[in-house]
Amino acid sequence: MDVVVQLQRQLTDHTASLFHEGFLNEQFNQLQQLQDESNPDFVVEVVSLFFEDSERLLNELAKALEQQAVDYKKVDAHVHQLKGSSSSIGAQRVQAVCIPFRNFCEEQNIEGCLKCLQQVKHEYSLVKNKLETLFKLEQQLIAAGGSFPTL
Amino acid sequence: MAEKADENHCGSSEYCSPTPSTPMGTPLRRVLDRISGFASPWKRSTTPRGRRIFHRDVEREEFEFATTHCLSSYYSVFVARLAIMVMLAILIGLLTILTWHFTRVYTTKSLNNLAYGLRNELLQRPILRMWNILNSTSEITTVQLKLSEYVFKRYNKPATQAEEVELYEAMRDVTWALFASRKALNAITINYKNGFVQAFHRDHKSNNTFYIYSDLVNYSISASGSNDMNMMSSHQGSNDQSIHGNVSAIWYREPLDPLTGVKIGKAKPIPPDDLIHIAGLPQVPDGVASWHVAVSKSIDSPVLSAALPVWDPSNKSIVAVVGVTTALYSVGQLMKELVEAHSGHIYLTSQEGYLLATSSSTPLLTNSTMGPNLTMAIDSEDPVIKMGARWLQRAFRNNFPPNYEVHEENINLGGDQYYIDSFFLKLKRLPMVGVIIIPRKYIMGKVDERAFKTVVILISASLCILFIGCICILILTNGVSKEMKLRAELISHLDARRRAEASSNYKSQFLANMSHELRTPMAAVIGLLDILICDDCLTNEQYSTVTQIRKCSTALLRLLNNILDLSKVESGKLVLEETEFDLGRELEGLVDMFSVQRINHNVETVLDISDDMPKLVRGDSARVVQIFANLISNSIKFTTSGHIIIRGWCEISNSSVDAEKFPFDQKKSRCAHKMKWKQQGNHMKKACKKDNRMILWFEVDDTGCGIDPSKWESVFESFEQADPSTTRTHGGTGLGLCIVRTLVNKMGGEIKVVKKDGPGTLMRLYLLLRAPVDGIEQNCQVDFAKHNFVVLLALHGRVGRLIMSQWLHKIGVFTLEASEWNELTQILQELFCARKSVHDNGFDAQCSVSEHLKAKLLKIKDMANPVFIIVFDIGLLNLSTDIWKEQLNFLNNYFGKAKFAWMVYHDTSNAIKMELRRKANVLMVNKPLYKAKMIHILEAVIKETNLEQQKKSSNALRITKEGDQHECLEIDATHFDTASSDDSDLFEMGGPNSVKGFHTGEKQREGITKPCSLGYKTINNCLEEFTPVYSKENDSTKRDPCQIRLNSHDAKDEEPKCCTKEASFSIEPQCENAECEGRNLVSSCPTQQGNLYSSKAVNEQKSLEGLRIMLAEDNPVLQRVATIMLEKMGAVVIAVGDGLQAVDSLNCMINAEDCGRESLFEERKTRSQTEIKDSPPYDLILMDCQMPKMDGYEATKIIRKSEVGNGLHIPIVALTAHAMSSDEAKCLEVGMDAYLTKPIDYKMMVSTILSLTKRMA
Repeated sequence: MDVVVQLQRQLTDHTASLFHEGFLNEQFNQLQQLQDESNPDFVVEVVSLFFEDSERLLNELAKALEQQAVDYKKVDAHVHQLKGSSSSIGAQRVQAVCIPFRNFCEEQNIEGCLKCLQQVKHEYSLVKNKLETLFKLEQQLIAAGGSFPTL
Repeated sequence: MAEKADENHCGSSEYCSPTPSTPMGTPLRRVLDRISGFASPWKRSTTPRGRRIFHRDVEREEFEFATTHCLSSYYSVFVARLAIMVMLAILIGLLTILTWHFTRVYTTKSLNNLAYGLRNELLQRPILRMWNILNSTSEITTVQLKLSEYVFKRYNKPATQAEEVELYEAMRDVTWALFASRKALNAITINYKNGFVQAFHRDHKSNNTFYIYSDLVNYSISASGSNDMNMMSSHQGSNDQSIHGNVSAIWYREPLDPLTGVKIGKAKPIPPDDLIHIAGLPQVPDGVASWHVAVSKSIDSPVLSAALPVWDPSNKSIVAVVGVTTALYSVGQLMKELVEAHSGHIYLTSQEGYLLATSSSTPLLTNSTMGPNLTMAIDSEDPVIKMGARWLQRAFRNNFPPNYEVHEENINLGGDQYYIDSFFLKLKRLPMVGVIIIPRKYIMGKVDERAFKTVVILISASLCILFIGCICILILTNGVSKEMKLRAELISHLDARRRAEASSNYKSQFLANMSHELRTPMAAVIGLLDILICDDCLTNEQYSTVTQIRKCSTALLRLLNNILDLSKVESGKLVLEETEFDLGRELEGLVDMFSVQRINHNVETVLDISDDMPKLVRGDSARVVQIFANLISNSIKFTTSGHIIIRGWCEISNSSVDAEKFPFDQKKSRCAHKMKWKQQGNHMKKACKKDNRMILWFEVDDTGCGIDPSKWESVFESFEQADPSTTRTHGGTGLGLCIVRTLVNKMGGEIKVVKKDGPGTLMRLYLLLRAPVDGIEQNCQVDFAKHNFVVLLALHGRVGRLIMSQWLHKIGVFTLEASEWNELTQILQELFCARKSVHDNGFDAQCSVSEHLKAKLLKIKDMANPVFIIVFDIGLLNLSTDIWKEQLNFLNNYFGKAKFAWMVYHDTSNAIKMELRRKANVLMVNKPLYKAKMIHILEAVIKETNLEQQKKSSNALRITKEGDQHECLEIDATHFDTASSDDSDLFEMGGPNSVKGFHTGEKQREGITKPCSLGYKTINNCLEEFTPVYSKENDSTKRDPCQIRLNSHDAKDEEPKCCTKEASFSIEPQCENAECEGRNLVSSCPTQQGNLYSSKAVNEQKSLEGLRIMLAEDNPVLQRVATIMLEKMGAVVIAVGDGLQAVDSLNCMINAEDCGRESLFEERKTRSQTEIKDSPPYDLILMDCQMPKMDGYEATKIIRKSEVGNGLHIPIVALTAHAMSSDEAKCLEVGMDAYLTKPIDYKMMVSTILSLTKRMA
């Protein structure tokens, strides 16, 4: 039982830190609220969707920005998508970086774009790690037979 | 900066200096320096100015950019200026030089030619003289010779002494004759072979003439005749000596009369020293003539002596030597004369250089021990001659040109310049050189002087021109540079303005974008507060607190709406609607509303709209109403007593109609304003004619505190209030008028505060509104004149009463006025008692009515069968005590004689209303009386009278007409309360606003009508007796509520037969219901809202149960989230990836339905098949705006297009990441019904979907 309590505490702390450090916002809460018996893996599902989508987008972005003649429209569209999906799961730091990214796109500033891409990648990997940790903790908790702490 | 400028100058002056006009270099530089001096303080002074200007708004970099920009322009100006100046300098310099050159060089050349001629001439003359002298001397000599020969031939071989003497005598005579004939001769000598000498000598100084002869005794012809020629030549020296050394020979001199030659004195021996030069044989050694320059003792000038031998004709031997001596004195004299006339120096020298004659008076001879000697020219005492001779010697040494001719100019001799010319006189044995030295000054002096003066004048002139030119350039370029500076400033100003505008635009845009975000929470707050207020378990204190919060939040929402409206207008996002609406009705509604809201009963609100005002206009009714709501609320705020009049008239009418139309005292001012605004009106009219627009004029006239004329313009600025202290007393933000003005301007109108006679403010505005498309207005007004109405206006407000009575008068209705109870009773008594007395053939004189009234009463008496209508203001009753009941009883007496229309206040107590109804006084009208209401009253009375007449023949039916009428009027009023309060921001009702928040800003009108219709629906539920027509009308939400009202009214009016007066009592509860309908409506919308929330609270999970929703979203994450969200609420979600799929699936569904394959949708078992057939395949579509392949806008357009055929309308909700209202507008433009922003807000989505689907249900 100790393990469960400990895990629960860990999970709570981790989640709190995620919100506290601004990786996530209330949107994520909403997601979590949407999760119920009928959709037990809803959050994980959505978040992994997000991961897939984001990775695809980031790859395409990197590819697009490597081109000799950068198609800013395309880049902009990708960033827009990324922004949309990140805001949907509440990954607000990723979303925040997307805003200057789009501005650079509008200005057609390749350096700014590249810089932003790096930032986005960075933020994305951070949030990915954090979320994966979160899910791992949750899984452990479930494996240990505990229930989710009330948020 | 300054250094750079200095460099510039240096460069330019260096550039200048090599120009040919070297003397101009320095002044030029000075001028340039001065210019630079001008320029630099100027620069210094302008720069900080620029700083001052730009510092405020623009960032520092910009300013720096601007300054450098300015500086560079300064430099360019400066360089241009310098270049122009340099060019000018060069030009002027060239001009000067050319002028100088031409004037000088040509003059000099011609002068030189002349001078050369002159010098030649000058020299020629003494030389000619010299030549003459020589010639004459030689001539004389020759003559003497010939004569001597003749004489010798005559006395050939004188043998005797006597013969010899005779010969000598003859010779003497002949010689004298010659001598006398030539005055210029100095001496003639004859030296005989034997040594005898005869000579005549003329002393020019003493003017004496002498005869000189040697002692005859010592000579004999024979003695010396042996001398042959050879001996003579070989022993020249000894012979010479024999003569000179012949000391023993005695010379005699005897003076002669110079004219006659007669001896006048005794012959005296003369000392040898005094002897004149006598030519002897030695002078003619080879027997030819010889020339000789000698020095005479008697005169200081050299003498020229010529000697010729006299040959013996026979033996060819020399018998005598004839010598002639001429003084060169005269040549010198001539020279002197010439020089005196022409200045300069002339001298003659022998070839050896001895001076023969000079123009100067210096002695030509030097006295040495050897006696006087000739001087060399180089040793002359005259310095000029000396120097000239020296120069010649130096210059030519002995290499004189072949002919010895020298012409030299500008020889510097002792500091002065001279011309030196020499000529060579080639005489045999006596070559001579003539030299003339003329100072340059003499010939060229004037010329030089002139040339110098010319140069000076030219230079000074050119300097002046240069200076003036520079100044001109400076002035000119100053203007240019000023212009440039201004232009630069202008550019930077424009830039700054652009930026400022952009930033202000950003602000507006931001605010416009924020509208959604701001209004939504406010709506939630208000909605929740309404729920809370409805809650029963609140204590009184809590209730009051919540009410307070409710009020505050409404106020906040109002403020928010104001700001957002303003920003919307400013950011140009406000799009005015073009819908047909009844302007008069809107205004009436407004007036009704304000009369309800107005607390102060001292202020009457009067609506005075002229009859020519078109009934229907096209425009944005909500905005028009907002304009007037703001104006009226403003007026109400500042008016404590008096009246507020809203006047309206139409521009189309000509002024004659106008004058008739306004019998009120504003006629004058109206004319004045007409003049004032005529011009714009005129050109507006032209514009209006084109697109069927009309100009509608309005005035809002109040008797409030007024606005200071200086603030008339500024009150329309945002956040501006005429008196800042009013914020404390009246509150408000000062946005109202600003919004009004922007809206008015947007509608192509203008608003102004106009001068007014009395206290208060008069706002005048005009609007450009389109006339309705069909254009024809039905002005089928009932002709009230034929009904013989007599209207007794027993009304409280003076102005309203006056206007009403005037209007009634105009349409042919007779009016009487009473402002208080006593007056009314008096008139009533007069009216009806008098009528009686008329019947009694007597008029009661004791009645103390005024003459005016009397006249009226008399007129009324003349009327045949008049119908009396008493419009009675409840306010005339004494409501403070119970007297009113008695008053009513008193009035009851007249019920049969006149129709009563009761003007009730919205807060009139129910007791009075009940009492009135009890007395069957059902024609009750809410207070502000305006034309439409009056017309209703009149129509009602007409119908009633008709009914009364019918009643006599037919029997009664159930529903009273009055009841309907009453109800209509009341619904009318309250309805407008609801509708107009939405935008008026004054009515404390959040329901419509909050709903509006969910909807659009642009389609506000629609937004207004929707909640209203919803409101009606709720009313429908509670008013079960209501005619089905009404609810049906309500269901057709697309229709204008006015229309609904009218229709329902008409619908009821169609059944007038069923109306009986008796039955009126039975519908009393209905009336009651209708009456509180106003309240209900006020609260119904919030309640509706509340229901929405509460229902959600009750079954939150399944609020969307049974709805089929298509979700078009490309983002998988969002798609998933939204799907789950919707499914959680029980909706069936069909998700598609892009717009194309959405359209396809929709088409396929429709097709599927057409094929009867409804079974595809198993989940919709709950619905019957017929339902499926009737309704669209989806209840709602959530459409992302930005999607690949086909975006949301495109998809919506296609869907809407396809819907045209089948009459369906699937609500489409836009999902967009842009929260900007432009996107919103775009969404709505393509046919979407609402829009949601990403990330999706759960509640918002639910409420939006519910509001859209409910409507469809």
